[in-house]
Amino acid sequence: MKMPMRLSAAASPAALMISTMMFSSASAATYAADPASSRLEFTGVQAGAAFKGVFHQFTAAVDFDPAALASARIEVTIEVKSEDSGDKDRDDTMRGADIFDVAHFPTAHYVTRSITRTATGFSAVGALTLRGVTKDVPIEFKFASAAAGATLSGTAELKRLDFGVGRGDWKNTDWVADAVKVAFSLNLKPKT
Amino acid sequence: MPNQATRYSPVAQTFHWIIAGLIIVQFVLGRLAEPLPLGVHKLSLLARHKSVGMTILILAVLRLLWRLWHPAPPLPAGMTRLERIGARGTHMAFYVLLFAMPLTGWTMSSAKNYSVSWFGVFTWPNLIGKNEAAFEFLRTTHDTLSGLLFAVAVLHILAALKHHFWNRDDVLVRMLPFTKTARRSQ
Repeated sequence: MKMPMRLSAAASPAALMISTMMFSSASAATYAADPASSRLEFTGVQAGAAFKGVFHQFTAAVDFDPAALASARIEVTIEVKSEDSGDKDRDDTMRGADIFDVAHFPTAHYVTRSITRTATGFSAVGALTLRGVTKDVPIEFKFASAAAGATLSGTAELKRLDFGVGRGDWKNTDWVADAVKVAFSLNLKPKT
Repeated sequence: MPNQATRYSPVAQTFHWIIAGLIIVQFVLGRLAEPLPLGVHKLSLLARHKSVGMTILILAVLRLLWRLWHPAPPLPAGMTRLERIGARGTHMAFYVLLFAMPLTGWTMSSAKNYSVSWFGVFTWPNLIGKNEAAFEFLRTTHDTLSGLLFAVAVLHILAALKHHFWNRDDVLVRMLPFTKTARRSQ
């Protein structure tokens, strides 16, 4: 790996911290997702047409070394009210009591339990807590080291009704599909 | 002109009556959905409204193409100049609205960031990006045009009945399937 010469030479406290992390990263690769450049989105199907939404606010803590998967761990905490599907009416409805009920369940949480290598990347099994219900959700992802951290991107698929996301009329799956796709792309920075 | 058709062809009649029926369905679905709050009931009504609307758009394209190659039978000779302009104008307005209604509806769905599905079989591309101001404008336009369509349809029906019962010509019968044009057309 190329040394960050310019950063060390700059001798600012931040640069020193980054270069310290670079030296120690071989033993403990712990990262946090950079909020501005990371993305967590979902795709639902409504009346036969797909729609996309994102969660603007979430934090991700990642311990990941491809050579030490036994100790690897991905943990994500999501501010559910930061959901944004590109339409205020739909977002207000989704934040309401019958769907996400953000007043009672403001955060969702995901933490992996085991991570294994696959032909194309990695897969993990983890527990998702959403709307007060905890259930296992598998994810598939790729991990790549970068000069100043790493990227972790992948997908998951879950059934919204497993978590009670949709009560009353919204239990209907003819007009709002049960299956929801999730895609994430985390820009990981060494944790300070 | 002895060889000129005095009746609408079966193809023209089929287009006319299928589209007329679908437009009635559209009025009912649209009026039922409009006052509802966002919910499954509204979504289901609007999903059908959009699917039927896109069906009308497809039929309008086919009908216009067909019409360009197959002129309508001539109007009765006894009609005044004003009546002819009225008839021509009404039919032109129908063709414009057959495109304008689904296109404003499709665009307004796009502006609201709700893609239009065709009976869940496939999804039409969004015509424009999310734009709340455009949505409000298009919704008003769609609503106003639906009122105009209603008015033109009432005029059209009254005119057809007037031709049939007052003038006693074949203007109505020549668009009716399973009939024969027994009355004089001139």
